[in-house]
Amino acid sequence: MNKKKENLFGYIFISPWIIGFLALTLGPLLFSLYGSFTNYNVVSRMDFVGFDNYQELFTNDNLFWVSLYNTFYFVIFSVPLTTILAILISTMMNQDIPGMRIFRTIYYLPAILSGVGVYLLWMQLLDPSTGLINQFLALFGINGPNWLFDPDWAKPSLIFMKLWSAGGAMLLYLAAMQGIPKTFYEAARIDGATNVQMFFKITLPMVSPIIFFDVITSTIGSFQIFQEAYVMSADNAGAPENSLLFFNLYMWIRAFNLFDMGYAMAMSWILFIIVLLLTLVNFKLSKRWVHYEGD
Amino acid sequence: MRKVFFLIFLSTIILGACGGFSLGDGDTSSGGTGDPEDGTAQEETIVLDFWTFWGSEQRRPVIDQIIEDFNTSQDEIEVRHTYTPWGDIWTKNLAAIAAGDPPDVIINDIMTVKLRAEEGQIEPITEFVQDEVSGRFYDQMMDAAIHEDEIYALPFNTDTQILFYNKDLFEEVGLDPEQPPETWEELDEYAAQLDIEEEGTYERIGFYPLIGAGTDIWVLNALGENYLQDDGEVLIDTEPVHETFNWILDSQDKYGQNRITSVNSQFENAQQDPFMSGDVPMMVQNANYYVQLRDFAEDLNFGVAPLPERVPGNGNTSWGGGFVAEVPMGASNPEASYQFIEYLTSHEAQLYWAEQNFDLVAHEEAGVSAAGSGEFDDSGQEVYTQMIENMDETLLTPQPVIAPDYAGTVNPIFESIVSGNTDVESGLEQAQSELEQLVEDNR
Repeated sequence: MNKKKENLFGYIFISPWIIGFLALTLGPLLFSLYGSFTNYNVVSRMDFVGFDNYQELFTNDNLFWVSLYNTFYFVIFSVPLTTILAILISTMMNQDIPGMRIFRTIYYLPAILSGVGVYLLWMQLLDPSTGLINQFLALFGINGPNWLFDPDWAKPSLIFMKLWSAGGAMLLYLAAMQGIPKTFYEAARIDGATNVQMFFKITLPMVSPIIFFDVITSTIGSFQIFQEAYVMSADNAGAPENSLLFFNLYMWIRAFNLFDMGYAMAMSWILFIIVLLLTLVNFKLSKRWVHYEGD
Repeated sequence: MRKVFFLIFLSTIILGACGGFSLGDGDTSSGGTGDPEDGTAQEETIVLDFWTFWGSEQRRPVIDQIIEDFNTSQDEIEVRHTYTPWGDIWTKNLAAIAAGDPPDVIINDIMTVKLRAEEGQIEPITEFVQDEVSGRFYDQMMDAAIHEDEIYALPFNTDTQILFYNKDLFEEVGLDPEQPPETWEELDEYAAQLDIEEEGTYERIGFYPLIGAGTDIWVLNALGENYLQDDGEVLIDTEPVHETFNWILDSQDKYGQNRITSVNSQFENAQQDPFMSGDVPMMVQNANYYVQLRDFAEDLNFGVAPLPERVPGNGNTSWGGGFVAEVPMGASNPEASYQFIEYLTSHEAQLYWAEQNFDLVAHEEAGVSAAGSGEFDDSGQEVYTQMIENMDETLLTPQPVIAPDYAGTVNPIFESIVSGNTDVESGLEQAQSELEQLVEDNR
């Protein structure tokens, strides 16, 4: 088969995805870019207003800044913590001891549970008086916080909940770790390396492409936090004291409660640009610490 | 080769974009569906799609019965019920309006009728509504359905906040069970008698304002009107509101934040209801709470009363919400839709709804009939009567077009005052000025 024909078949095979992307994703995407410069309200109004939405967001909307702060807070803590925890768990799960499969299953289980059911479960666990977590703390004489009802603890509560499902990323790390040739460790051991040294000098560099992938995807995912706050905040709108008013929740309120769709579209583009910039920075920095085999 | 792909790429973009941009002209497409009534020879029945979020075992049979009654009462219109879950119904409606294919009738939130009318999401029905019909409802509910002199919906049901108290515990501490507290001061006195304190912890919380009710209800009760007026005037930094917060905070100091949080979370978990167990002998709640008492606390000897007033003569102002039936913009036959809405809000349908669901209906006389209904037992009748009487002093707080998002600005500040992160003086000053600013910006 000649090269041209091969290319053609390639394109034909991926055409369902390309057409789907162009029609169902790119179209609405461009529409929302245009919409962000209008006062679009979904049903009856779509007048061009230039940069009014953006100007209003940056200069005259406290809640925009509150939601941005909340979202950054969440990303800055949850991404590194879940990443580190996932690596630690997978290191432990990589040991060769009997019964390991059971542990792997247990740690992975939270990852297959998702959505509102899990949030309701956590709302019970985090309940200030009857929740298991505070009852457990009380055994040690610790008076647990009010979790979701305390503006200082609401975000940490969500981060805490996210840590619970670190098992999802564990699977990726575990696969990568099992792919590291045993000879590396044998050679290191002969040279007298300790376990800690081997972890930092062999394991981490060898799984760094996975770390990179995980950090990028979980950063993007964390910026999009919505459901958790929508379900778990007492008034579905960021209570207490707007501490759970994340960017996407505020955007949703703007779009579907107040019908400021144009404004919400402007917000979505701001988030897009923030995430894009951070991802580019990540890519730049990655050259310093991500090692690809064969480099 | 490359050119061909570029062309495909380009046309797909344009197609996609066109699909997107064709939104927004919902009203043009509505004409295209072809109304069977004009001039066609064969008499087709008009089929109406009716969206509600009433899918529960309790509510669904009731609404289905009302629909069936309507369908059999005439042969021009056939209503079909589409159950759409609570979490989706209004966003789906919005998308359906934009796509030009909305439901014919939908149950929607009464608080936001004006806002939706302003945004062009509802067909006005003024021309169909006769005085006899608009006079059926509680005035404040009908007012909420009118925007700039056009009627956009008819009210369906509502609710109101009342005081529930435990008569046995009243008797136990020597209070007259037929004399519920009438003022805030009396509330505090009664509370002091009902309190049980052991080693610094209140085992029984006589009365704490924010069990069952929120700060906004007490602010409304204290002011006798909403803190945001229709004309944009803001009444937050005022004497009654200061008094409200100080009163709440004094009570909170007495019982301690931890104890209150723990009691409130017991209510939320529905594991053990503190009112049913007697840990909370008095509280302000949505009157519908009666249904829980009826079903889960048969032996509880309780009474109901209007919300106590801040000072004698101030009024027992309470707060209510509710739902309306409306015709989404672009519906194919608003007149037929209206006929069904009129039936939904008729005496017959409203009474049936009230009796089967123990729900306060918008039709004033149907409510009065329900209060004496044989479907309810004595305490049911007593509570329903209290609900009706309460409507004289129940306010609705429709989201004002001038600042629809006012709660997002004010509530966090109120929360912050109650949690002690902001003091009353500066908190209310801040809320006042931020809300004034919001109104100013939207003008």
